[in-house]
This record gives sequence, C-alpha cells and structure tokens, in this order.
Amino acid sequence: MTIRRSGRARLVVLLIRHSLSLAVTCLVALAPAAAADALRIGLTQYPPTLNPSIDAAVAKTYVLAMTRRPFTVYDADWKLVCMLCTELPSIENRLAVPFDKPDGTRGVRLTYTIQPGATWGDGVPLTTEDVEFTWEVGRNPQSGVASAELYRRITGIEIKDAKTFTMIFDKLTFDYGAINDFEVLPAHLERAAFSDPAQYRIRTRYDTDPTNPGLYFGPYRISEVANGSFIVLTANPSWWGRKPAFPRIEIYAIENTAALEANLLSGGLDMVAGELGLSLDQAIAFEKRHGDRFAIVTKPGLSYEHVDLNFDNPILADVRVRQALLTGIDRTAISRQLFDGRQLVADGFVSPLDRVFAKDIRHYDYDPMKARALLDDAGWRVGVGGMRSDATGTRLALDFATTAGNRTRELVQQVLQAQWRQLGIDVRIRNEPARILFGQSLARRRFTMAMFAWVTSPENVPRSMLHSSEIPREANGWGGENFPGFRNPEADALIDKIEVELDESRRAAIWQRLQEIYAEQLPELPLYYRSDSFVLPKWLKGVRPTGHQYPTGLWVEDWRRGDAAAAAR
Amino acid sequence: MIRFLGLRAVEILVVLVIMSFVIYALIGLMPGDPIDLMITANPKLTAADIVRLKAVYGIDQPLMGRYLAWLRNILQGDLGFSRLYSQPSVTILLPRLGNSALLMGTSFVLALAIGLPAGIAAARRPHSLLDHAINFACFAGISVPSFWLALMLILVFAVALGWLPAGGLATIGDGGFVDRIQHLVLPVATLTLASIGGYTRFMRSAMAEALRQDFIRTARAKGAGERRVVLHHALRNAMIPVVTIVALSFGTLFSGALITETMFAYPGMGKLIFDSVMGNDYNLALAGLLFATLVTLLANLAADVAYAWLDPRITYR
Amino acid sequence: MSEMPFRDAPLRIGSWRSFWRRFSRRRLAVASLFMLVLLALAAAAQPLAVRLLGIDPLAIDLYGRLAGPTMRHPLGTDELGRDLLLRLLQGGQVSLTVGAAAALVSALIGTLIGLLAGYRGGVLDRLLMRFTDSVIALPLLPLLIVLAAIDLTKLGVPRALADAEGASLWRIVALIALVGWTTVARLVRGATLAVRSFDFVRAATALGAGGPRIVLVHILPNVASPMIVATTLSIGNYILLESVLSFLGLGIQPPLASWGAMLTDAQELIGTAPALALYPGLLIFVTVIAFNLLGDGLQDALDPRAGQG
Repeated sequence: MTIRRSGRARLVVLLIRHSLSLAVTCLVALAPAAAADALRIGLTQYPPTLNPSIDAAVAKTYVLAMTRRPFTVYDADWKLVCMLCTELPSIENRLAVPFDKPDGTRGVRLTYTIQPGATWGDGVPLTTEDVEFTWEVGRNPQSGVASAELYRRITGIEIKDAKTFTMIFDKLTFDYGAINDFEVLPAHLERAAFSDPAQYRIRTRYDTDPTNPGLYFGPYRISEVANGSFIVLTANPSWWGRKPAFPRIEIYAIENTAALEANLLSGGLDMVAGELGLSLDQAIAFEKRHGDRFAIVTKPGLSYEHVDLNFDNPILADVRVRQALLTGIDRTAISRQLFDGRQLVADGFVSPLDRVFAKDIRHYDYDPMKARALLDDAGWRVGVGGMRSDATGTRLALDFATTAGNRTRELVQQVLQAQWRQLGIDVRIRNEPARILFGQSLARRRFTMAMFAWVTSPENVPRSMLHSSEIPREANGWGGENFPGFRNPEADALIDKIEVELDESRRAAIWQRLQEIYAEQLPELPLYYRSDSFVLPKWLKGVRPTGHQYPTGLWVEDWRRGDAAAAAR
Repeated sequence: MIRFLGLRAVEILVVLVIMSFVIYALIGLMPGDPIDLMITANPKLTAADIVRLKAVYGIDQPLMGRYLAWLRNILQGDLGFSRLYSQPSVTILLPRLGNSALLMGTSFVLALAIGLPAGIAAARRPHSLLDHAINFACFAGISVPSFWLALMLILVFAVALGWLPAGGLATIGDGGFVDRIQHLVLPVATLTLASIGGYTRFMRSAMAEALRQDFIRTARAKGAGERRVVLHHALRNAMIPVVTIVALSFGTLFSGALITETMFAYPGMGKLIFDSVMGNDYNLALAGLLFATLVTLLANLAADVAYAWLDPRITYR
Repeated sequence: MSEMPFRDAPLRIGSWRSFWRRFSRRRLAVASLFMLVLLALAAAAQPLAVRLLGIDPLAIDLYGRLAGPTMRHPLGTDELGRDLLLRLLQGGQVSLTVGAAAALVSALIGTLIGLLAGYRGGVLDRLLMRFTDSVIALPLLPLLIVLAAIDLTKLGVPRALADAEGASLWRIVALIALVGWTTVARLVRGATLAVRSFDFVRAATALGAGGPRIVLVHILPNVASPMIVATTLSIGNYILLESVLSFLGLGIQPPLASWGAMLTDAQELIGTAPALALYPGLLIFVTVIAFNLLGDGLQDALDPRAGQG
C-alpha cells in the first residue's frame, strides 16, 4: 500500500508540474502584442468626474487637456497664450477697453474671437451660444461648479456674431486677458441636462454619456471609459489644429507607485505623467537603473513646498524664533542629497523662475550658530538634555504636521525635525491624512506648524494666502487661506495695488517690496519648489513639462515618435 | 425549518438597518467633508464657493436628517448618486461586484482544490514529514504580508520574466478570454497563496478528529480498505465543520481584497469600498459596505443550514 | 485570515511538567518560542544597542543615505542615513507591542463577554452572542479604515489626549482589539458552558460559593488553554494587520516606524535599496510564522488529544 500511495503521489506531482508548465506556455504564447499605434500613459488617480466645471481634480484636468482647450492659458514658457481664441485681448490692440465705474474703480471689456475651425466632435460648430450657456451654468449657485469666482466676476457677455463676443468684467486687473478657467460647454448637448440646475451635476452628459463625441473639440475625444481603471482617447476628426501623431491614447489609473513602476518595466505602460506620477526621489532612483530605456524629465514648477507657522502660537509669534527655524535647516543639503539638486530651494512664495521674482531679497543660509544665537536672544536657553526653555520653564516644543502617507514630505519632515532638535527645539510630528489636515486643522487654524504646497500659476497674486482679510475665521465662514494669521498693513496694501497696477515696471517694484516683507517676517518657512518628474520612453519627443497647474496634454498634438535612429540608440 | 429561516431573515434585516446607521454615523465622524477635500485640489475655491457647494451637496444639513433621507431613498430602491465617480452608485457597483466575484471566486475554488486534499493527506499521516512540510507551508502562506507577496510576484513574473501583465483587468482593445485569464493569474495567485493555509489546517484538524473516532476503528477492524475508510467514512464526518467554515468564508468573497486589488490595479469591491470611505462618498460606501455585510450574513445562514443538513442530530424548528 | 479550529470542550492545563514534556517534543514550536524571545529581547535591548554602537537612532545623515553595511552601521543605513539595525529594533518594539497589546486587550474583552454569556446564560447569553455574530459579520478591513479615520475630538476626547505622544500606537491597538475580541469570546463562552455543567462546579455552587469565586477558581483555569492558544495565534495576525494599516497610510507616526511601515516605505525604492524592504519583510514573516507555529505547538501540548492521530 505504501508503494502504491507514493507511486500515485508521484503521478500527481508530475501531472501538476505538466499542467502548470503547459498553462504557462499557453499564456505566454498567446500574449497579444501591444497595440503599436497607441500611447499608454499611467496616472496615480482616476478622474472623479469628466465634467470640466464640476469638482477640481488633477486627473480630470489631465485627461480633458487632450480633449478640450481653454480660451487662454499659460504655456510652457509661462507666457499667456490664446488656444481657443484667435487673439489675446490687450489695451494696445483695442480688444481690451477699460472703463470707469461710478465707484471710482475701473472695469474692462474684453473681446475674444473663437477659432474659426473650432467644432464639437459631432460636427456642430462651437459658437458664442456655447459661451453664453457656459456663463449661465457657471454663475448658477445650484450647478455645483467648483470655482465660480471667474463666472461671478463677469457682469455681462455681449454677442457680436457666431464667433465673436465681448465679456464685461467689473475689475481691471493686470492679468485681465486671462480667462483660463472659462470651460466652454456644448449648449446643444448640455442644455437639456441643465433644465434643472440642481440636478445638473448628476445629469451632465460628461458623466452619463462620456463617449459622446459632441462633448469634445480637442485633438482627441474620449471613446471608451472604464470607471476607476482606464480611459481611451481617439483622434478627433473635427479638430482644427495640427493632427496628433498617435491615433489612440490610453490612460490607466494605477494608484500604487511601485506597481506603476512595474507596469513601465513590464511594458504595460509607455510613460508616466509627471502631473500625477512617481515621486521625485523614486524617479531619480528609477533613472539610475533604467536611464537607458526611459528619459526622466524633471521640471521645477510652481508647487511651493513650505511650512505654515501659526502666529497664534506664542512661541512662533516671535520673529526671531521664525528666523531661527529657517536658519537652522539645511535646505540646500536636502535638495542636493534627497532630490539630486533638482528642486529649487525657495526664498519666498515667488519661484526663481517667475518673471516677478526678486533676486536681492533676504536669503537664509544654513547657519546653526546664528540660529542658536537668535534663539538665545529670544530668551530660549539651553537646559538639561540640550533642549531649550524660557525663563518661566516653558519648553521650546512645537507640533509639526504634514499629509500622512506622502512619503516624500514625511522624509523631509523627519530631516527638519532632526536638525531642529540639534538646536534644542523639541519638534513633535503629528501627521494627519490630507482630508483632516486641509479640512480641519488648517481651515480652522488648529495647527502649530504644517508643511504642504501651494500649486499656482505664474505671477499669482498671493491674496488668499497673505492678505489679512483672508484669515479663516467664523465670520467669513472659515474661508481664505491665510492659515498663519499673517497681518501686515503694508502687505495688504501692496496686494491690493498689485492686482490693479497695469504698468509692468511699477508692478515689479511692488512685487519686490512684498517679497522683502515676506522674507523678513516669514509667515511661512520657504522650503523648495517641487519638481514634477515625467518618465518618458526615449522615443517620445515633444512633451514639454509646464511646471504650473496647466498640464502638458494641452500641447499633445506636438507629441511625436522620434526618428528610428533615435529610437534604436 | 421555514419558521427558522423567517426568523433569521428578520434578524438579518434588523442587523442591516442598525449597520447602515452605524456606518453612516461613523463616516460622519470622519474629519472633513467632500467639499473640504475639494479645497485640497483647488486652492482657488473661495469661502463663498465653499458655502454654496455645501448647500448643493446637502452636507450643511444635520447628520440624522441626511440619514433618514438616505433611508427613504433606499427603501424606494434608489442607492443614490456616487459623488466620487459622478455616476449612480449601482452603475459603479455592479461591474465591480462581477470583477470581485471572478477574482475571489477563482482563488476560493483554487484554494479549496489545493487546501482540502493537502489537509486530508496531512491528517492521514500525522507527524510524518509530509504533515510537517504541509503544516509549515500553510503557516508560511498565512504569514507573508500580502502587499509584499504581490510586489514580489509582479517583480518576478511581470518585470523580470515578462510572462504576465503587471496589473489591470484586461488589455484595452483585447479583453478576450485568454487576455482576462492572463490578467487574473497574479492576483489570484496572491490571494490563493494567502488563503490556502487556513483551509488546509482546518481540513487536517477535522480529518484528524474524524479518524480518531470509534467508528473508524470499527470500520478498520471490519477490514474495510484504507482508502474506503478515509474517503468514505472519515471524510463524510470531517466535512461537517469544513463545510461550515467554507460557507462562512464565502461571505467575505464579495467584500473584496483591498490590498491585492490596489497592487494589481484591479477594479474590485475592496478598493471601491476603501476609496468611497476615504473619499467621503456616503452613498457608495454605504451601498458597498451593506452589500458586503448582507452577503456575510447570508453566508452565516447558509453555514447554519448546511450544518443542519449534514449533521442529522441537529434540527431546526 | 486564518480561522483556527478549536473544540468547545474545556481542558484543564495538566501539570506544568507534563505540559512541558509534550511541548518540548514539538521542535518547531520550541524553535519558534526561542526565536520570539530572541526578537523580543533584541527589540527591548534597543536602547542598549544605541549606547553600544554610540549612534543616535534618530540622527539623520543626508550624506550617508542608503549606505551598505559597515563596522559603524552593521546593516547599513536607510534613506535618511539612519542606522538600519537600530531602526529595525525600534520597529520591532512597535510591531511586537501592537501585536501583543492588541491580542491581550482582545483576549480580555473576549473573556469578559464569553464568561458573562456562558455563565449567566439565558437572554443575556443570546443577546451577547447575537452581538458577537454581528461583529463577526462585519467586513473587517473597511470597518477598520472608517474607525482609523475617525476624528477623536468629535467624540469628545480631549485634544491633548488624542494628540498625545504614542497616541497613534495605542489607537491602532484599540482599533484592532475592538474587532478582534470575537474569537476568544466564542471560545470562552463554549468552554464556560461546558464547565458549568461539570460536577465539581455544581458542587461548589451547592456549597454556596459565590459567582465571582466560581468563575475565578473553577471556570477560568479550565478555559485558559484555548484562550492562550487563540491569543498566541492572534498576535501574528495582528502584526500582519498592522502592516496592512501602515500600507494604507493609517499606521504609526514618524519618526517611529513599525516593520510594516518600513516595508511600505521601502517598496518605492525596491530596485535601488532592496535591503530596506528585505529586512522588515523577513522580520514580519519570521515573527508571524513563529507565533503561528508556537500557537500550534501550544495547542497540541495543552490538548493532549489533538494531533495524536
């Protein structure tokens, strides 16, 4: 019986081994070759909606950039350009006409002409009727449009003809020509869904019928949607511009970045978007190993990583402590060692790449001696164990929060904590998921120090971050983003002035002064400007990272396959 | 029996209603709301925007009122609208359910197909080398962190060898049978390796217990063949607890495998529930969680019924 | 999640010597016990190792990131230049503490409920067991996620307490225990029911012994063995569960790290620094398997009938 049993066991093992290897061989042999004409892009997020106006998620902006175009946008050189319009209005070309208002301030009338070839994917021309409809949706409080600021500032739209219209704004600002966030909607398809404005966000055809060609007018249109996993784009025949090189683009959502990397290596993906992709240190590590197959493009952008300091905290209310905190951290070493020197160390809220950046403002080099002196001066003496306390025995202890689960931030945070500890500052890490940090702690100003980033556009006026009227409090419904509680009458006045100063050189002087105040007062500790890292196949040419909130896909028609020789190298 | 089933059905309903309230309240206790989350993505939202959006989404209303409104809708068969996917919850839920059933079902069947025979083999020769080897292998499978296992499988079979896709449901534009199977291999392997151990050990212990019983000795004494003793007499007895545990674990099939789904970008129920809870998507989270609970409760009921059916000593009145 | 088989029959722990004789025959279990004691000692001795090596475990060295093993750093350094060995030992403190504490608290809650239900019986028993069944029916992981994200201050917990040092660790322990007590509760109830009907318990009741005394002296010792086994097995499970929570970003606060958190962080750098993922992964695996084997061995040793074949 023993013999029989072991004999059978051996047979079973053999059988299993055979069927396994057979299965594997079958599977491998039948593996289909990847579609050669498609470009496959990986993102870490799936868009929550495809309606251009509702919600505001980076993944949605990324996908829609390839299928629709804004009237105006900042290009990769951070210059304002026309996309859907034919000419940018300016006072010089008489398309922008300022007018005086009864209250003494000035408004402006802007005339735009829609690209003559602009046509929705179903052949219906894109006209001023769509523009009017979009404004109607945008200013309706029930429509669920996320950022209604732009639509509210438009006090009227005059229609000249099917392609030309004039918008009337009640405030003349220096960036008057920019209507980047005006997301034109197809009136012929969406009007029915908007019949009950409160139901619009549920009935919009961008979500109920997302593959309808009539919703798109860009180089691509959405042809297939699998919720939560992928979106397929195909070339849009009605597109007026340059014909895109890839007939198909497939966008996959893969949240885990280790899995994202594996998909690149296994050939499941061609590229990973920088807007929502690998963290910089992961990309740098990836480049070291696979730089022969992939090009890693990093661009320092307008994501301003910084630490907000709460002025309500008596310790932080002292400017000497704030300056000591910044002097006591080695941002250059962090940038060089953790990020291969690819992130610009920040001196303030304006990026060194921005044209309004002031060069000669106060710069804080790493100088622990000086930091110690500042702390001594502020009355924080070193006690037993090397930690500091003041005359009353209060310890120099601060809580430090950032978004939990963001590995890069948590790494930097631990470096800062260690460097501050060497100065005798007891910093305790209290990280919270993004939803708590932004939704509660910052919005209700219940934090001590918090590290996060602002993602902005070029020459962005820091009204919501620095103006004293924007300090979140009960009275303003906890609105505004001046989380530190920074109050500086001069800064307030400068911000008010910048917005309406049309003369570039005079504006530059105001920008200069504002940055000086910021660098002296340090309502926030500037850390660095984050770099997005794009992982691209060597053969892909024409992808130009913008560095700001408007994604690369706005120029997707310039993306090409490199020549064969380049590909072979 | 009918009375028993009726009672249990009422009980399940009561538990579901209580659960729905508990979940609703729990999500309500999570900090921040959907609009707060929106601010994270868009710093341009003004205070006025926030107040307006909270009214649009109805989250300026008190929790209890929102719950009752939700309950009314659900009783009319309306699962509500998913804020996270901008679709009716049902539209999102159904395909995910299918995906999960396929993934979990396959690994469930595989784990049983391997685990039960292995358990029987181990029980037949306790403390033999084979028994120890199986025992150790079981514990090894149970003891590996699943995201680690998934990562290793991806690195070996997708990256290094290039045999199988690293993730996803199917290749876009293909989606044929073979293609779907290829995409299933690694996630199914991850799940199966992690769950085999439990079934094997359970089968082994039930079988060992059965083999110790007097009637087995009697059967052997009567000269029944070893094969017949094991397969006929002992197995039938050992299956009673095993069927129960199998029915119980069947209940977890539809709540999905969060980690495996995340690692393989596989759109299943686990990830859906996780994302909807984290994204404060009440309607979707509730629908998903309640469905998972319902299936578990039904599986519990099935386990009880199976127990009664297999074990003639128990009757339900 | 492994469901371990237990019979509901109560078993007295025999004499210590006979237990040890049976236990020591299970070589794998003995090796596991040895391994676990070693790991626990090593983790506990982390402060000593800090003194011995003369390095600050939290000191960051940006110029010595991801270094290989040297005399100074026996296992090399992590992505911030911290000593990997010291960090692993500290991670062990967290992982083992979470696992053991969660198992103990679950056992405590489970025993209490199980004893109450089994000893009192009647309506209370039925209610408690229905409650237990309902908790078992809950989808575990999603529930943990909801619980982990709850804002304690909304529940009226003082902010100072909710934010206290090490709070994140105890929060995880509490979470796991909150859903983990059911196994023990069922076991203890079953055992109590059986013990209650034993003659010696009946005799004690007849002699006028009070409830608490009967539970303490007669019932508890008799339900101890399945409890011990279940608790041992659950430690391993909870260590794994903690690693999953870390993977989901619901784990412990930096600069503290559990093995699970270290493993999660390491996956992004797996190509460049595989050692960072290898060690914590291996430690989790070894620890969990050791707890499982130990529990298995304990079961056999405590319950002489099992595994004889």
